Amino acid sequence: MKKRGVGLANMWYGIGNTGLPNPASAYIELLDDGTVIVLTGCADIGQGSTTTLAQIAAEEMGVDIEDVRVVSADTGITPDAGATSASRQTYISGNAVKMAAKEAKTILVETAARMLEVDEDSLILEDRKIVVKNDKDKFVKIKECLGKCRAEGKLTLGHGWFNPDVTALNPEDGQGKPYATYAFATQVAEVEVNTETGEVKVLKIFAAHDVGKAINPINVEGQIEGGCMIGVGFALMEQVKVDKGNIKTPNLATYLIPTAMDTPEIYPIIVEDPEVTGPFGAKGVGEPALIPTAAAIVNAIYDAVGVRITDLPVTPEKLLKEIKKERN
Amino acid sequence: MSQLKVVGQNVKKKDVKEKVLGTAIFAADIKMDGMLYGKTLRSKVPHGIVKKINVSQALELPGVHAVLTEQDIPGVNKAGIIVKDEPVLVGIGQRIRKIGDPLAIVAAETEEIAEAALDLIEVEVEELPAVFSPLDAMKDDAPKLYEKGNIMAVRRIVKGDVAEAFKNCDVIVEQDYTTSMVEHAYIETEAGVAKMEGDVVNVWVCTQNPHYDRKDVAYNLNIGLNQARIIQTTTGGGFGGKLDVTVHVHVALLAKATKRPVKMVYSRRESISNTVKRHPFIMKYKTGCDKDGKLIAWQTEIIGDTGAYASYGPGTLTRAAVHATGPYEIPNVKVEAYTVYTNNPQAGAMRGFGVPQVAFAHESQMNLLAEKLGISPLEIRMKNAFIPGSITATGSKLEHSVGLKSTMESAKQAAEKVLGDKF
Repeated sequence: MKKRGVGLANMWYGIGNTGLPNPASAYIELLDDGTVIVLTGCADIGQGSTTTLAQIAAEEMGVDIEDVRVVSADTGITPDAGATSASRQTYISGNAVKMAAKEAKTILVETAARMLEVDEDSLILEDRKIVVKNDKDKFVKIKECLGKCRAEGKLTLGHGWFNPDVTALNPEDGQGKPYATYAFATQVAEVEVNTETGEVKVLKIFAAHDVGKAINPINVEGQIEGGCMIGVGFALMEQVKVDKGNIKTPNLATYLIPTAMDTPEIYPIIVEDPEVTGPFGAKGVGEPALIPTAAAIVNAIYDAVGVRITDLPVTPEKLLKEIKKERN
Repeated sequence: MSQLKVVGQNVKKKDVKEKVLGTAIFAADIKMDGMLYGKTLRSKVPHGIVKKINVSQALELPGVHAVLTEQDIPGVNKAGIIVKDEPVLVGIGQRIRKIGDPLAIVAAETEEIAEAALDLIEVEVEELPAVFSPLDAMKDDAPKLYEKGNIMAVRRIVKGDVAEAFKNCDVIVEQDYTTSMVEHAYIETEAGVAKMEGDVVNVWVCTQNPHYDRKDVAYNLNIGLNQARIIQTTTGGGFGGKLDVTVHVHVALLAKATKRPVKMVYSRRESISNTVKRHPFIMKYKTGCDKDGKLIAWQTEIIGDTGAYASYGPGTLTRAAVHATGPYEIPNVKVEAYTVYTNNPQAGAMRGFGVPQVAFAHESQMNLLAEKLGISPLEIRMKNAFIPGSITATGSKLEHSVGLKSTMESAKQAAEKVLGDKF
């Protein structure tokens, strides 16, 4: 018989290293033609940090996304941004890039204010222009303003570094402030359990993630979907088998991970409760994406068949044994 | 603030074109004039002392340019992100702590020659008793991997008085949980190429951690940090598994020794067998609340098997300890998390860093409590969820951006819309 169940799970996740300094830095150069080079040590491993950091730089500099080139993760060229880990790069490198952009535009804004004969405070940068906030017909193009800067012998460069506000944990009782901000999430999973074979099929996952602010929503959704799949593997099948220190599952024929056939319908839901210390309110999502998935699946299995597995993964053999025990 | 123009937009990923067209250059794709291929000889025993390594026959094989052992390392012969406990190569008289510990590295004209050279290296090892269970490893009479013992680190978190608080609970749930060792299984296995340019060693490598890699390369080659240049190549996934050094120092040593570019690419078997994994956890949970479902006391013990070397172990267990209670405000908490050495494959960073394991446990506990109380899983979570102003188990106050109740509401609404009354 096939039985369906629904389960819910929450998670929280501190952004950045636990109770340790973990700064990141960035350099920015605004070039003569209004294009921008960002130098950052931040390694993009497919998660999209290069794009996210380009968006932050473009927003802050008032240029288009196409105008920004990010040069990343080359220690001969780029400054230290720490590791791509701890879901930290959007928050920490994002802040560093934003600060670098602020510094790079200082001279630009000062020059534009003179050109337009207004206060610097009245100016904003958008659409490749420096615009008077309350009188948008009054503006100077960034490129023209850069011409003026260069004529005056002024370059437009910036650097920034950001270290989250944390304290070390007391070694005796662990008291302290380990993180500057936390991501939160709730996932609901629907499963179908085959009570004759012990097989579990995850049908749907509703994954709501508070990311502060989604710099790139479709990228955030991608992270959530990928995370859910790692969670499905963790819940149901993944297990490195070790015998006396020897790995017995050394290839993808013996170490099973979810395939497209195991993929449920995933409904990513972005919740934005802005983090005041984050770039444009952003926190992080990389790791949170998978954290509640296995818990939600296990709770859903219990809802379906009344069996609670406390030892991951929930393999068909293990579940079938427990279902039989429950029946007797 | 003015309206955002770029932030919040579904901008196309900057690297999408190369990825989709298959033109992105991964480290394994790199070819250079005169490039040699590197291979690693690894230990077949989990614990022992190296008595002899004879490389003379391997060196004589035509096409072999270098066979390096620990004696050829100009620097510290140590790696490790938190503790430098991992040898780059285990030398004569030194200790092997796991199957796969590197003993020698070879550079040759082809991969096949390099592979053949490995077979010509004579190794003698005096085996030592090994320990494979973290619970056994914690006992006084267990074989010791390190002089100071097998308990690498202990993290304690104490808030209030749990022992006293449990006396006042109406409902208590006690349960043990375990989780498996997990492989990252990224598409791209570890790969890198090193080449000397003047007195600078360039290392093109897939990595999540270039500035850390630089330190381990420089310290082991005994050169300045400004003489080790790490250039990240397009990286086919990492999930935490590409934070530690793997091929990095080995290719750099071989490039320096041969004055030729040297490339190493791990096979899938070599990758799975020798690189870090997600920590398997053994967890004991005891959780108590009042008759209304308000959490009063929470006690957790976590044992994490970090294998032969620390890697990110103590960081993982510390993060697990901090997150062990879930996102709930509890006045009395006691958590103890142990990072334990064994002769197993080493565990390190993996997406979630100890928190997926504890989330499995704390969310099971919440459901067990709800069932005993006869309330819904959502209700018990709503009653205890962090809100702005909540104090965590480490005593820090959550000031802002605490969207947990919103995520619960949003997930509930979405699920109800699709599943109807099944939710």
